Amino acid sequence: MSAKEGVEVKIREPLRTSDLDQSFPEEIMKHPGGEKLYLCYQCGSCAGGCPVGKITDSYRPRQIIRMALLGLRDEVLSRDSIWLCASCYTCQERCPQGVEIADLMLAIRNMAADKGYAPKAFVDQASALIENGRIVEISDLTERRRSTLGLPSIPPASIEAVRKIVAKTTFDKLLEKLRGK
Amino acid sequence: MVEKPRIGVYVCHCGLNIAGVVNVKEVAEYAKGLPGVVIARDHRYACSDPGQEMIRKDITDYGLNRVIVAACSPRMHEPTFRKVLEDAGLNSYLFEMVNIREQCSWVHMNEPNQATEKAKDLVRMAVVRAQLLEPLEVKEVKALKSVLVIGGGVAGINAALDLAEMGFKTYVFERSESIGGHMAQLDKTFPTMDCSICILGPKMVEVSRHPNIEIISYADLLSVEGFVGNFKARIRKNPRYVVAENCTGCGECLDVCPIEIPNEWDRNMGVRKAISVPFPQAVPLVFTINMDHCIECYKCIDACGALQAINFAQKPEEIELEVGAIIVAIGHELYDPSQLGEYGYGVYANVITSLELERLINAAGPTGGKVFRASDGREPHRIGFIQCVGSRDKRTGQIYCSNTCCENAIKLAVQIKEKHPECEIYIFYTDIRAFGRGFEELYRKARELWVNFIRGIPAEVIEDPETKNLIVRAEDTFLGEMVEIDVDLIVLSVGMVPPKTLEELSRILHIPRGPDGFFLEAHPKLRPVDTHTAGIFLAGTSQGPKNIHDSVAQAKAAAASAAALLSKGRIRVESIIASVNQDLCLGCGLCGEVCPYGAMKVENKKSSILEALCRGCGVCASACPEKAISMMHFTDKQVLVQVASAFQG
Amino acid sequence: MSYALFLGCVVPAREPSYELSVRKVFRELGFNLIDLKGATCCAPIPVESLSFKTSLAIAAYNLCLAEEADLDLMTICNGCFQVLSRANLLLKRDEKLRTDANDVLVEVGKEFKGTRNVRDYLQVIYGDLGLEKIRGSVSKSLKGLEVATFYGCHILKPSSVLMFDDPERPHILDDLVDATGAKSIPYLHKMRCCGGLLRGISDDLARKLARDKLFNVSQTQVDCIVTVCPFCFLQLDLGQLEVSRRFNEPYKIPILHYPELLGLALGMTPDELGLHTHRIPTEPMLNKIG
Repeated sequence: MSAKEGVEVKIREPLRTSDLDQSFPEEIMKHPGGEKLYLCYQCGSCAGGCPVGKITDSYRPRQIIRMALLGLRDEVLSRDSIWLCASCYTCQERCPQGVEIADLMLAIRNMAADKGYAPKAFVDQASALIENGRIVEISDLTERRRSTLGLPSIPPASIEAVRKIVAKTTFDKLLEKLRGK
Repeated sequence: MVEKPRIGVYVCHCGLNIAGVVNVKEVAEYAKGLPGVVIARDHRYACSDPGQEMIRKDITDYGLNRVIVAACSPRMHEPTFRKVLEDAGLNSYLFEMVNIREQCSWVHMNEPNQATEKAKDLVRMAVVRAQLLEPLEVKEVKALKSVLVIGGGVAGINAALDLAEMGFKTYVFERSESIGGHMAQLDKTFPTMDCSICILGPKMVEVSRHPNIEIISYADLLSVEGFVGNFKARIRKNPRYVVAENCTGCGECLDVCPIEIPNEWDRNMGVRKAISVPFPQAVPLVFTINMDHCIECYKCIDACGALQAINFAQKPEEIELEVGAIIVAIGHELYDPSQLGEYGYGVYANVITSLELERLINAAGPTGGKVFRASDGREPHRIGFIQCVGSRDKRTGQIYCSNTCCENAIKLAVQIKEKHPECEIYIFYTDIRAFGRGFEELYRKARELWVNFIRGIPAEVIEDPETKNLIVRAEDTFLGEMVEIDVDLIVLSVGMVPPKTLEELSRILHIPRGPDGFFLEAHPKLRPVDTHTAGIFLAGTSQGPKNIHDSVAQAKAAAASAAALLSKGRIRVESIIASVNQDLCLGCGLCGEVCPYGAMKVENKKSSILEALCRGCGVCASACPEKAISMMHFTDKQVLVQVASAFQG
Repeated sequence: MSYALFLGCVVPAREPSYELSVRKVFRELGFNLIDLKGATCCAPIPVESLSFKTSLAIAAYNLCLAEEADLDLMTICNGCFQVLSRANLLLKRDEKLRTDANDVLVEVGKEFKGTRNVRDYLQVIYGDLGLEKIRGSVSKSLKGLEVATFYGCHILKPSSVLMFDDPERPHILDDLVDATGAKSIPYLHKMRCCGGLLRGISDDLARKLARDKLFNVSQTQVDCIVTVCPFCFLQLDLGQLEVSRRFNEPYKIPILHYPELLGLALGMTPDELGLHTHRIPTEPMLNKIG
């Protein structure tokens, strides 16, 4: 141990009223699963049962909901930790106010994606879905292996249908944008 | 002692409770041989009907004049056996109960031999004491079937109505011009959002009209003397300069009076005339002239005309009331936050208290129900509530929680949001205590309406010198971030404090106060409306911060307690009291100083006991330097022979 | 009893033994499983996270295929089960969501009507057959085998939607394991997530969660872990090699899919069921049951 030169700090201004945007939680509440956001009274049951929260301090669901309630739009949507939810739904089971936390996290992710924030893994998987109708492709090698084992050929996925659907929901455009980043 | 003692000793088995450890037959046998004992028996259940019958019969057959029962605690069956003696024609104080259960068999379960020896010792001690027991007079005092309710707020009103309905003559004493109290100042009450005066007003009118109730208002309580069943209260009625019987409350005088003064009812935000009523629904509806500001132009007399209700020559009037019981319901005051410099109350124009907001929001208030900022008359677009102002605070001395401020702030926030959904509201809190029925639901409604709750008490409030807006600096503890919220208006949720008159009243009535300054009840759980002074009861916020629902419940409880006390017209007073040997008494007065019940009268250099007030605590006897005071049923001699017998064993 | 078999993506591509055992076992037990023509991916978390609306529409598309075939859907993956069940319930219950979804589906000539249900294969075995029949069908009791069951998350939660079993203390899988003669042994943090969905987002977190589960199981004497979800299987089977290496803790716990276990109990051979395709060798456990 040696004497420190100085202490490293992060200079930070307090949150101002101009940082708080009530339309943000209201918008979240319009998504399916987000309707009960306003009920959260910060008891912390969600964080208590979260398997991810137990092994890292990078993810705190209660805090994310707090930030959402206050209206910290940019802070929440640009945050990496919103992608750390394992979607195990333990929090949603246990919330005493019936806030659908795991679904709410998905709603927040949707809004983040619209703003251009998304992890590459999800973008790749979604792109594969549009390409093949499946997230995991059934290659020729796989086909041969299957038949060796006596498995039947499975009917092909309706790739056309998937492509039409994502065109209608403009998901294809979203992915293009996200891939471009 | 005149007669020769003929003592009966009864040793109870109490099933196996005693007999399972103590050899009760042996104890009874032992008792037979003690001096003065004529008959000694054991019985399975002495308190049962056959057991009691056995004792009763023995008293007659054997001519017993002293009875000892060795059994459970006197707290269980002393009254039972005293009644047995009474039924058999013996004075009930010639009875002694020996505890060989709670204090013997139950605590020495593994040592039966020693327990039996102990039981024998205890019985022997009781026998020597019994020889010295004397009959005591069973005293009753007459009880007046009337009650004085001090305080005309919602608690006093409800207590009075219940008592009046039960047939008791009830006086409602109210220091100010009108009954109603703080509840009449509110706009809405939580959680039902009832209009406050709409639910209180009819009760106030009922009070004024009830044939059994007399309201004494605009008066001071000078003194209270006497004891339970027989109190004498002296009251000074202050002059209103208006003749109550003639005044119809028409208000003609109000129109012509040229003088406007700040209206305390509106927290000095509005005005009233020098002749006025404090608020339109005042009961009694009698005007009052504020002589500090009246210029005696006499325009009011002209306006009053034929009714001739104005009388500048009115003088104070002293009256005396005789009542059987007193209910104290003097209410509370609100903490004055000007002492908390960091919030700028009294300095910044747009920092107000919750009661002030209440008056602004109230349609009958000084602004006709519109919430304005004092600095520029604009309506606020963003309001900040600060909770726990003056409460839960070691600095201010009120370390208690004021009970109602959480739900009150939520109520006001919901009210504002329902009328002005675009108005942003922030409530800065430590905890949200929404404990009552319907409270949590209102809290939920507040969140639904987007009232923002920030957990973090603001450290300070800063005023923008130009806009007069206020910046609230706090930590959002859940986020762990500092926030600075700028608001148009700040509402301080101030806590309840004891009213200024409480200290004097506690002296007049000899009722103690708790460490929080409010009146102290006899027992926090089991006797919430009693005081230690017989005949005086408590109700409402002067007994501690509480909401209307709890005040009303307490008031009804106090009324029932007072009624139960007075209903027979007689009250039995304690027979085991002190007595002063006048020959030995020097008149030093030490006994009067230490008596906690005010039961000692010291006059003409002699002390005497006010028997109805004495509770037999014995403090006077131990304080008396001349040993002039002895306690009946526990004389020095009686105690000392027991002690000697204990060491004899 | 006929069902439209919904295979999902992972099973046909990566877990042939799972598919084999499902097909064989269900045929043996008298079910008729019909491959759903044109079925696509159910559109799970990666798609839901970016566009819930799209995921709902794709799920609805697959539900329409089942409605058209006039069959209930049977899933063999927790993820597919949760996504499709939830979509089915939401679209049946919420008029606006249904209208919005049908607006999209009209592009592909489909309309969601809400005439069919989604069931997981465990529900089918437990509900349609029942424990008695299963016990009766067992020809080679697995008595002596000790098993750690792992339900995974998405077959149980959110319980108000899925209504499969008690989310905190479920019993269906344990009962089904016991019906084969094997014994289900409790272990610490049995219900905790395996971390599968964190793969690609944070492999560190995914690995730690998998490791913790393997560690907790290793503290008991069980012979194998039984899973019911292909994602959990991958985390614990293939993932076991990675975890052993990274944490320097050599785990050798065989992982079995439930239909594989049941298949063994019905008298099928390990080869028939394709157990050799597992990454963690199943021999130790197979030797125990002889």
